[in-house]
Amino acid sequence: MKLIAVRRRVPIAIAIAVAVTIIALVAASTTREGIALSIAFDLAVACGIAMSVPGFKADHPVVSRAALTLLALDVAIFLTFFFSSSTNFNLATGAAMSIVLLGLSFLTGASGQISLGNGAFMGVGAFAMAIWANHHATTPIVLTLLIAVACGALVGLLLGLPATRLRGPYLAGMTLAFAVAFTFILSSFSSWTGGDSGLQLPTAATAPRWLDGFFHAGTPPLTTTTLYITDVAIIVAGVAFFFMANLFASRTGRSMRLIRDNDVAAELVGVSLPRTRVVAFIVSSAYAALGGALLTLIDNSVSPPTYSFALSVTILSLIVIGGIGTISGALIGGVIYAFSTNVISWITTQTGLNPQGNLASQLNGIIFGGLLILTMLFAPFGITGAARQLWHRLRARFPR
Amino acid sequence: MDPFLTSRIVTDVLSGLTNGVTYGLVALSLVLIWRSTGVLNFAQGAMPMFATYLGFAFLSYHFGYWACVVACVIAGLLLGGLTERFLVRGLYGKPEINPIVVMVGFLIVLEAVAAAIWSSTPRSLPSPFSAIHWQLAGKPFALSPFTVYEIATALVVMALVAALFRFTKLGLQLRASALAPEVSRLLGVRVGRLLTLGWMLSTAVGVITAILVSANFFSGLTPTVMDGIFAYGFIAAAIGGLESPVGAIVAGVLLGVVNQFVTDFVNQNAVIIIALGILVVSLMVRPSGVFTKSSQRRV
Repeated sequence: MKLIAVRRRVPIAIAIAVAVTIIALVAASTTREGIALSIAFDLAVACGIAMSVPGFKADHPVVSRAALTLLALDVAIFLTFFFSSSTNFNLATGAAMSIVLLGLSFLTGASGQISLGNGAFMGVGAFAMAIWANHHATTPIVLTLLIAVACGALVGLLLGLPATRLRGPYLAGMTLAFAVAFTFILSSFSSWTGGDSGLQLPTAATAPRWLDGFFHAGTPPLTTTTLYITDVAIIVAGVAFFFMANLFASRTGRSMRLIRDNDVAAELVGVSLPRTRVVAFIVSSAYAALGGALLTLIDNSVSPPTYSFALSVTILSLIVIGGIGTISGALIGGVIYAFSTNVISWITTQTGLNPQGNLASQLNGIIFGGLLILTMLFAPFGITGAARQLWHRLRARFPR
Repeated sequence: MDPFLTSRIVTDVLSGLTNGVTYGLVALSLVLIWRSTGVLNFAQGAMPMFATYLGFAFLSYHFGYWACVVACVIAGLLLGGLTERFLVRGLYGKPEINPIVVMVGFLIVLEAVAAAIWSSTPRSLPSPFSAIHWQLAGKPFALSPFTVYEIATALVVMALVAALFRFTKLGLQLRASALAPEVSRLLGVRVGRLLTLGWMLSTAVGVITAILVSANFFSGLTPTVMDGIFAYGFIAAAIGGLESPVGAIVAGVLLGVVNQFVTDFVNQNAVIIIALGILVVSLMVRPSGVFTKSSQRRV
């Protein structure tokens, strides 16, 4: 049955791919743009067909997740070509933030505990990135990102080791103390961190020469750079999501969910509680550091006030509103973060508030804090949870 | 010993005590709520801050300091009670992150609303006692009338809380409903009311801390005035053990003294870093706190 399905689909796929390539090459203004367009479309078609094969998802879960990631990346990157440069900048920060959210979502989904210090872990990654880039300007970006991730994981290990042995709110309180302490830590090491003014990256990230040809003819360099950075951020986020989806589904992920649901049962079947909790915390800190490092790359600089306690709270609000403990919740939270500033300034202008006034400057806190409370009280699993509930209700009412 | 060093140490200990009692009070108010309802109240700094703003709003109607203090405490009692009734009541028995998240949300909302109404510029509060340090042999001494007032107030509050729990019927009921809510309910204790009362009490203790802190520190009253104090209060409560009121107070006072020594002999930035280090080490050595008997969780 499955084989027949595949056999019938392959020629269709090839035919669509060839047709798309020809149309793209004819329609596009330059050859390179045409090639880029056709690659994008063909990839989408191939991934879509691979995923729609019945039974494929169950038999090859990893390949299927890879195909889904590729498809999402493909569509996202294709769309960035049509957005304005400011929208792309917002998308890039949203992508970086969604990685941080994913880490926190994993921690809660895996251990039932919560961190209030992920903003500070972001800061660890952001400053590690900037410091390394300032001392070793020739290191490739990917390597610098990995170094930042390693720094985040190391700090996570140091803090997680004592707190994860405990039940109750100790991890939350301790990470809160870390988040409050972080700005002081930064100013204690001001010769490294640049004190109050922070650090600049030595060389602004620019698109490699071979990529320039793919952009529209006559694109201004600023747009080119934003577009390039956005695509880099989206790809890194895609890779992070792919790894996390596999981790959620793996044996480790399953034992972590068992700990969350019933730690006594987990211990009885031989899961080591402290070790699993520490691993979950380290993964979450490493993801936060990756997000922070990416944000440094996007902003091309890093400044201490960004990584105050308020950022940790924003992170918590975003993931709770998106859906804590879920993967799609992190994605939703990232999108909300990307456009929250625009929405809030829109609200300010629509309601005729004085933009310099007290209320307008606090609108962010009031809205996010209020949403945080309301979500936790009425829909503990956020937008994702509410959507799932709606879906199940619909399926119960209209069975296939 | 070198007389200069001796006087420096004495000064540090005394000013450390002054800060330490406020940490101890915050830690005590955290422990009160944790023991009775199993919620670590992350808004334990913000709720008193808000009540203090409300109470001192009477200053503009020409009320005196003490009238405003009474108004603050009443506002705190109301805020604590309303919070328990409408925000926390539905969260008992839910996964432990739910109350944490809700209280963090409440913290953000309170700080944002306070800044929206009263702006985030520091507001200086009147003080009933002079904050100018006494002179000893021509040199300023660590204590001032205000710091003595601060320490005395803190001690009185602590003693009152202890007396309430130890010697009154109400205190017995509070302890009973925290320890065994089901049994207490069967024996005719109105557990729901007592939980509300516990939150009111804890917020009132917090309000007294907030009044002292925002007059004592040169920062004045700001929406975020309690953030740092809350962090130290939590560290103290965690070191002392979230189950032990005495441990919380002792740990708070000691933390204050240690912080003062670090400020004096190292620098201001190192204070919270070293406090965090102490927390990490103490949790590694005694996970359930220095002052509590560790209990095995049974299946």
